Amino acid sequence: MPKYDIVVVGAGNAGLSAALQCQLAGRKTLLIEKHNVPGGAATSFVRGRFEIEPSLHELCDFGPADNPGDVRNILDAYGVKLDWYECKDCFRIVSRYSDGSPMDVTMPAGIEAFIDKMEVYVPGSREKMEQLFALFQEVLDGISYITASKGHADSKVLQADYPNMLRTGAYSTKKVFDALKLPKKCQDILSTYWSYLGVDMEHLAFIHYAAMVHKYISRSAYIPAHTSHQLSTAMTERFRELGGDVWFGCRAEEFLFRGDRLCGVRTNLGVIDCDYVLANINPDIIYGKMMPKELIPEREKKLSAARGRIMGGRMFTAYFCLDASPEQLGIQDYSIFLSSTADSAEEYRRIMGGTKTNDYSIFLCYNIANPDFSPKGTCVCSFTTFGAPDEWGRLSQEDYFKFKTDFAKKFLRNLKAKTGIDLTGHIEEMEIASPWTFARFLGVPEGSVYGYETRDWDGMMARMMMLGTDYPIKGLRPVGAAGPRGDGYSATIICGQLMAANALKDLKEWEGGNK
Amino acid sequence: MSDLNVKVGLIGKLDMLKFKNMSKTREKAIQAAPASEISGVFPVNENAKALHPDFLELTVDNIIVRNDAKTFVLKNKSGTPLPYFRAGQYISLKLPLDDSLVTRSYSLCSSPKDALKGRYAITVRANPGGYVADRLLSDMKVGDTVITSAPQGFFYYEDLRDEKQVIGLAGGSGITPFLSMARAICDGIEDFELTLLYGSRTEEDILFRGELDEIARVCPKFKVIHVLSDEEKTGFEHGFITAELIQKYVSGGRPYSVFLCGPEAMYKFLEPEIKKLGLPERRFRRKLIDVTKTPWECAGYPQEAKGKQFSVTVRQGPQEWHIIASSDEPVLVALERAGIKAPSRCRAGECGWCRSRLLEGSVFIPQENEMRRWADVHYAYIHPCCSFPTSDLIIDIPGEFY
Repeated sequence: MPKYDIVVVGAGNAGLSAALQCQLAGRKTLLIEKHNVPGGAATSFVRGRFEIEPSLHELCDFGPADNPGDVRNILDAYGVKLDWYECKDCFRIVSRYSDGSPMDVTMPAGIEAFIDKMEVYVPGSREKMEQLFALFQEVLDGISYITASKGHADSKVLQADYPNMLRTGAYSTKKVFDALKLPKKCQDILSTYWSYLGVDMEHLAFIHYAAMVHKYISRSAYIPAHTSHQLSTAMTERFRELGGDVWFGCRAEEFLFRGDRLCGVRTNLGVIDCDYVLANINPDIIYGKMMPKELIPEREKKLSAARGRIMGGRMFTAYFCLDASPEQLGIQDYSIFLSSTADSAEEYRRIMGGTKTNDYSIFLCYNIANPDFSPKGTCVCSFTTFGAPDEWGRLSQEDYFKFKTDFAKKFLRNLKAKTGIDLTGHIEEMEIASPWTFARFLGVPEGSVYGYETRDWDGMMARMMMLGTDYPIKGLRPVGAAGPRGDGYSATIICGQLMAANALKDLKEWEGGNK
Repeated sequence: MSDLNVKVGLIGKLDMLKFKNMSKTREKAIQAAPASEISGVFPVNENAKALHPDFLELTVDNIIVRNDAKTFVLKNKSGTPLPYFRAGQYISLKLPLDDSLVTRSYSLCSSPKDALKGRYAITVRANPGGYVADRLLSDMKVGDTVITSAPQGFFYYEDLRDEKQVIGLAGGSGITPFLSMARAICDGIEDFELTLLYGSRTEEDILFRGELDEIARVCPKFKVIHVLSDEEKTGFEHGFITAELIQKYVSGGRPYSVFLCGPEAMYKFLEPEIKKLGLPERRFRRKLIDVTKTPWECAGYPQEAKGKQFSVTVRQGPQEWHIIASSDEPVLVALERAGIKAPSRCRAGECGWCRSRLLEGSVFIPQENEMRRWADVHYAYIHPCCSFPTSDLIIDIPGEFY
């Protein structure tokens, strides 16, 4: 068995990113993945004549070649190449404003276009919207400064250049909207993005919201031409090309330590010696099942308990492959958010109340962004919502299949009632992925692809500030949606790079100390 | 930016402190929590694992002999319930035979209800000249242990997709998934109307005759029509299953879906018959059959490769083997002959379980088994179960868990 400098466990977005960063830095790196495909949620599956995208709606922070976002820059630096389609509209939302009146709005990408359209729906909102975008920009610049300063941000610079970020960043998005005196209808429309982070506007830190929404609107969103399996396979093959080793069907069972420092991984293909592991695994699983209990610091147990072991975004997605084109079905929008209220806190409560109260879903038609997504005269659509953990925890195998089909039927009915689009009678292939499915394939607690909720005290910026304090196991760092940047393709790709950089720094320091 | 002065809290200066103190606030919340042990156990994950275990270790509980076939009743070695399934799904058996380690998939013919009592049943029919079926029939005894996959496959009824009226077309041992469906309907687990046209050579050859007729007697949603190709008898249809025969048994001109499971010859015969029905693709579903045994008859086969032997370098994690493969057999068969623990399940190119990276060399893949993802085609990933070597190869296969 060869020895490796670094073993990356799990080829999800963060694992792939971390592996590429380590290999590029010249470290002998092994990427192991328990499944026989890479990507974790960034994968695809084939049914009949269709290839289905399981998770990616819109890649954030990618942007066009002449205005690249962080993710495009990172993939370029890795040398990962693939073809992309732009999602030109931000979203359509069919819901109710918080005053109860009906809402059906379609928002375009591009800051000016977005503000213009908002003025149409909410006359007189322009000035406030421009202020909001100016604030978004300051927050983004501030985050860039803090990130570049690597934990040594100068408070004088922060106060001089980013005062509004400091004034708003620690508050909830709703508080900041109210302080800006943003018209309520604007707030309702802007709250649409809450579900991408899984935390409602009353508990989601403004700094996190601002960073994401500004990127979506200013750079629009992108999807790979051939599902996110193309992205994860392109990353895998680039890693291989750089000299990295990849073992599929290889599952880490236990992390091995010499004293308090990691020295290897036990897998189904044998014990692998290494100096460092970057684990694309939720920390609760690592601490609970994969390492000696006596090596887990008290504070880490407290951190887990403080979070209440509550995960965010347990996915439920129904996929439908249809034997009719989007035009024939009357589908014009790439993504339609369907909900009963724009009040995100109320929506969150309904979701957590279970399938009876949950009527929130994001309806997506991939062919709108990519006309070649499926054979001519067909299209692929999906509904995505969240599951309540208790309900899916209690469910028996006997009831499982009917239960998930009934839930999917609810979304088909909702779509028809709210938009007139009727998919029944055209379904050629279908599949339903519940929290059980995501738990099965990704191993994530409760089927949560969002990691821990980035809620209140545990927000993205607060986690970033404590990067050096959390997870102090020597030679072992978790990467992924449970990490500092939270959930999402862009966040996890960035997280993988960030944590790999820290691992590389650790290794260098230890080697220096050994001399 | 100077004109922007956003104030959220009461006093602007305190907000800056609030920002700076985010980490302190967080630490306070963490320190206030108890240092309780982390279990890493979540009910949703336990459920997922119970429904989709890595593998099952089953023992033969009972053997029922039927003509040239045997039904093997399998139970969980640990005595606990078995994973529930959709009627029509199959399990894949891992069988050490001589020096080989082979995989064969068999549709479950029992009701999903029996899984809750810890029982599955599969039926194996004699297959003269075949390698596995006859060995199972002669060697497998009550009390034997066998490693299998959990139930899987897409040949099942889905009410959102399929018409309420299903015309099942079965030939020979292709009856097994339909028997499971009939039992599931009878048990109230599935809710659709199944009219089964079941082709056999003679009355004598009909598998599960008694069971099928009994279910049809007690369950109004299930009908069975026996179609005998080599015998003409009252009470039976005679000849082959045709478009005409299908239409004869469609009830009340209502829409219907056609499900097909049978031997390769039946698929070839029925293809033009199904076309005559003019059904949209979504109303015709078939269980995939094993990859062809005569690849050189497929369109696009490079004839110069026929009858050749190639050397294959196989990598799996840190291990490496050098083996010989015949161009007339899928790469998977060469791996199995070498006794390599290679992942595989459906053996038809559908499940993707054997997905491997072709690092060097070329293979031929029959069009009907080409079910790879776009990026897998682009980046040279193959399904060894239906890829025939046409040169020397280097392949990297995934690990296994049993």
